Amino acid sequence: MFEVMNLLKKNGLQGDLFTRTVHEKNVEYEGGVFKGYRVEETTGYGLRVIRQDGKIGFYASNCPMEGEKLFEKALEMSEFGEGALFEIPSYPSILEWKNFVDPRVENIDVRDMVELAEYIVSRIREEYPEVLVNLEITAGKEERSLYNHHEEKLNFARTFFQVAVVVNHTAEDDILEIYAERSWGNRDVDVEDLLQELKRKIDYSKKLCTIQSGKYPIIFTPQGALVLLYPLFYGLNGKNIVFGRSLLGDKFGKVIFSSLFSLLEVSHEPWTLGACPFDDEGVVTQKEKCIVEKGRLESGFFDLWSAARLQKTPCGNGFRTSYQDLPEPGFGTLRIKNGLRDRETLVEELEEGLIVDSVLGLGQSNIASGAFSCGVQLGFYVKGGEIQGRVKNVMINGNVYHALQNIKELSRDDRWVYGKMRLPYILVEPIEIEA
Amino acid sequence: MREELQRLAKLPTRGEYLEIRLERKSFTFIRLQNGLLEKVRQGTEEGGYVRVFNPRTGWWFVTFSGWENLKERVEGALHSSSLLPRSDGGVVRGEPVHDTITVSVRDDFRFKLLKDKVDLLFYYAHILKETSPLLVSFTVEYKDEWREIYIANSDGSVISVEAPDISLKFVAVAKSGDTIEMYQNGVAEKGGFEVVQGQEELARGVAQRALDLLEAPPFEGGVCDVILDPVLAGVFIHEAFGHLSEADFLSRNERLQQMMVVGKEIASPILNVFDDGSVTGLRGSCKYDDEGMRTQRTYLIKDGFLVGRLHSRETAYLLRENPTGNARTVSYRFAPIVRMSNTAIEEGKTEREDLFRDVDHGLYAVEYIGGNTALELFTFSAAYGYRIEKGKRGEMVKDVVLSGNLFRTLKKIDAVASDFRWTQIGGCGKGAQVGLPTPTGSPHVRLREVLVGGRKHV
Repeated sequence: MFEVMNLLKKNGLQGDLFTRTVHEKNVEYEGGVFKGYRVEETTGYGLRVIRQDGKIGFYASNCPMEGEKLFEKALEMSEFGEGALFEIPSYPSILEWKNFVDPRVENIDVRDMVELAEYIVSRIREEYPEVLVNLEITAGKEERSLYNHHEEKLNFARTFFQVAVVVNHTAEDDILEIYAERSWGNRDVDVEDLLQELKRKIDYSKKLCTIQSGKYPIIFTPQGALVLLYPLFYGLNGKNIVFGRSLLGDKFGKVIFSSLFSLLEVSHEPWTLGACPFDDEGVVTQKEKCIVEKGRLESGFFDLWSAARLQKTPCGNGFRTSYQDLPEPGFGTLRIKNGLRDRETLVEELEEGLIVDSVLGLGQSNIASGAFSCGVQLGFYVKGGEIQGRVKNVMINGNVYHALQNIKELSRDDRWVYGKMRLPYILVEPIEIEA
Repeated sequence: MREELQRLAKLPTRGEYLEIRLERKSFTFIRLQNGLLEKVRQGTEEGGYVRVFNPRTGWWFVTFSGWENLKERVEGALHSSSLLPRSDGGVVRGEPVHDTITVSVRDDFRFKLLKDKVDLLFYYAHILKETSPLLVSFTVEYKDEWREIYIANSDGSVISVEAPDISLKFVAVAKSGDTIEMYQNGVAEKGGFEVVQGQEELARGVAQRALDLLEAPPFEGGVCDVILDPVLAGVFIHEAFGHLSEADFLSRNERLQQMMVVGKEIASPILNVFDDGSVTGLRGSCKYDDEGMRTQRTYLIKDGFLVGRLHSRETAYLLRENPTGNARTVSYRFAPIVRMSNTAIEEGKTEREDLFRDVDHGLYAVEYIGGNTALELFTFSAAYGYRIEKGKRGEMVKDVVLSGNLFRTLKKIDAVASDFRWTQIGGCGKGAQVGLPTPTGSPHVRLREVLVGGRKHV
């Protein structure tokens, strides 16, 4: 298959061949009982070609294919392809990176996974016999490789280990679901910390509270902060900027958010699930890239295609959802700069407001405009500096671009969400609540 | 291949349930954005899974690329499944089935040139663009896929299925001053290229509707009688009620089972709801589900009473009910789980016009933008609506939000019309499995005294 690069070279064309192979194991528990074990062993590749007239062709498959046939397929598509304003880069020949592969994850046995699952279930059931525990543990390894028409080659591999728990409590007229996860590139996932988080959430949820509709300060937990980030990612996406679907296209270099808000891309952060020395186009990622610096928009997510159209420098933000996709703007590992004081202090100083941990309907509003309108799935009412209990049937409405201007404080303590975003607790005021 | 699968299906010797799925897919995806070719994707995919339920342990599932080394995979799965911890599950066994399901479409999209597909989309993009200068953005999206699937299991069944699917979608965004409005619609069928041809009227209609929305005033909300059109009524019953009928939702939760006990009076006595994977030709239909069980019509609500729910082999075992042929998967990468097929509100006896005649002051809510459900709570946005004054359809309105408690709302349905129709576009997501075709059907349905807009509860 790789002889296809030789064909490209001979015909004076550019191109890259991307392959992705995944080996994944997963243990699932439902209602505290072992349900099943799942293994995934999949692989696939996508060939991108750029003709001399700039037209892009692409063909993806997971079936072994003769180089010549693959070449023909991709070339057939290029007839209709978009004109590329960029070139497939030459890959760096010397790079001092390593794969993030933990043999403890790669060689994990089903028995180890079951043992951990049983431990988590029993710890929760010990303290809360009335709840049902649904749980998934996933361990695996992902390998990516790139070949280009210069016949250069890049490889990167990483392991991943994820624990996700849903605690369900059903009463006569109330169904409560609490979610928590920890994801990391090696086996050092802090299960005790996860259990602590669940315990806190279950305890705070015991009492049901009501809140009147109105405008309130809201503390978004690291998990809840996705409400604010999801529309922002849409706006930062270079392709959305090219197509005029983003409001941020003409905002670079301007202060548009609170000066407390700084967003960094830190894709060399070891063992995070976004860590990568290069993106899926072979562009080297940066150790630290400033996206928002003290409220000023510095950069966005640009793949080769959008960077060329917007005359930006590509810096490792071209990622592929699967081998079947062409690269799209995306990110590796992100971090929001934390604040100075603990989250407890933020809560203590809150006269009346809400803590939002998870929502329904993320991204179902008009995200291009930054709007969000979400049902609060797990949220806590705070009065007089104390958490009073859980709220139900409450919606939060607003606009992310306003909310990020109205950040009042970020906590000192932060944590990794999905293993690729390090986020603090974020206090925003005001946000509209409908109850 | 059939012979090999038949041999493999006989390998379990210790009471295990074995299921093998092999799948081959070819696909095309094209998206035009503002007349620019934003995405073209074509490819092929081949893979499968082997799944074993070991009665002494639980499920072992392995998914893989390619169709090679099947015997080793089956033997490995049977052996490995015995090493798992103990579960409390089980599966209902069925009769052996040998069947070949082939589909013939009029104009097979696999043999169409990519150029023909791309040209057609540019033609539609031109129609959209020409409609009005107020249209600031327009998208034309095309997708086709053809799957060949083998399902074999230790019942002794070997089934092969051909499954084509083709869809076309138009999105128009209109802007005037500070007002920006979007409207989308499309077609989707288990058919050939003919499905996406001749859709000029649909394209013009989508552009026009986006423009109409610019002019329409927002609905001010309040308590009134509401008539749902068949699209919105169908989506409502799928999202707000259908998911609660999927038995895996409650198969290991006794308290939920008590809340959703069969025989409970749950809705107005004129309401009948069913799921039916055996309807000919719909996108959610197939003679067998992905566990090789015959699909059927399953009534979920009859005369207002909860009468049934949807099952896989496993949930049927856990709840001691009969399988309903509702185990479906989006691809070989996932195990089948309980899903709806084609879900609908059965037609009633009232003439459509009579639904309107009895409404003095109300709202006619049409089509669907989006919505959320959290167990018994739901929020849906209609694409647009019309006022109803003294039994007559009046001015067009927008920003129509219906929100409330499912069980209270089901009891407010006081009339069901006789103009039933299916809606095929759209897909359903559950967990990691997204984009499963799940058509919905309904006639016009009337709800009395509902609070609309302002996101208050019904």
